[in-house]
Amino acid sequence: MILIVGGAFQGKKAYARQTFSLEETDITDGGSCELEEIFQARALSHFHEYIRRCLEADRDVSTLPEMLGKKNPQVILIANELGSGVVPTEAFDREYRETVGRLCCALAKEAEEVHRVVCGIGRVIKYG
Amino acid sequence: MFELIIGGSGSGKSEYAENLAMNLAREEYLPLYYIATMLPYGEEGKKRIERHQKLRAGKGFYTIECYVNLRRLVLPARGIVLLECLSNLTANEMFEDDGAKEQTTEAVLSGVSKVREGSRHLVVVTNDIFSDGITYDETTVRYQKYLGEANQRLAAMADQVTEVVCGIPLQLKNTLQKTEMRDKCESVVEQL
Repeated sequence: MILIVGGAFQGKKAYARQTFSLEETDITDGGSCELEEIFQARALSHFHEYIRRCLEADRDVSTLPEMLGKKNPQVILIANELGSGVVPTEAFDREYRETVGRLCCALAKEAEEVHRVVCGIGRVIKYG
Repeated sequence: MFELIIGGSGSGKSEYAENLAMNLAREEYLPLYYIATMLPYGEEGKKRIERHQKLRAGKGFYTIECYVNLRRLVLPARGIVLLECLSNLTANEMFEDDGAKEQTTEAVLSGVSKVREGSRHLVVVTNDIFSDGITYDETTVRYQKYLGEANQRLAAMADQVTEVVCGIPLQLKNTLQKTEMRDKCESVVEQL
């Protein structure tokens, strides 16, 4: 598993495409896909959007890192870093950013590589 | 040694900080103190505190609660101190009745300096609340300013500054390594 994180609009997807020679069609959009598609995907973008949809539908996501590790261990995940702001006033927003943060911590543990992208420039922050 | 740890919400900064403090205490057989700053407001606040208490359970921390006026805190002995977290302490000083109000940054800084003097090693956790690009009301902006100033001043004082991303520590500053390198270079030069 490879995890790519960074703020919004940092060029994460372009970095992923270039670094891992991906075609646009290799990338499944977490903003609209179903759970089964995640297990088939070569790469998944907008991972945080997928989590938001799960939380909105009251679906449990706590086992997702483990399931991904078993069912799609080669997947490349692209997720936004969301935690670097003032605590949101809405309870749902607080839950959303905390859940995405914790899941990314868990996924980073599973992953062989973690890349962080700032201004389109990626840095490998975990390898092996 | 004084290490400042920064990260966003859910970044894994607490777990990293706890393990660091715990290891330091084990290496030097020193007492391990946790200065808790979060006031238990509401159900969600209580849950957050419980989550942190569970994370710390079995790690050997002696918890001391301190919501405002950190400079008055007296530690039972000289040991390893984990202060978590600066964003709560800053908010308490700003908004609580017995807080420092306009003197918030000074109160936080003098408090941390005092704890630093009284401890063998100090680990401070702070929060990155500066990168969401939202324009907030005047009070919230002032809160960001106080915390941002405190972070900068503490980072200048610290021997090490670490940013935690997805549970992974990224080193932003490490003067200890520099000192070690300089000592090594000097000893080599002396030998020559």
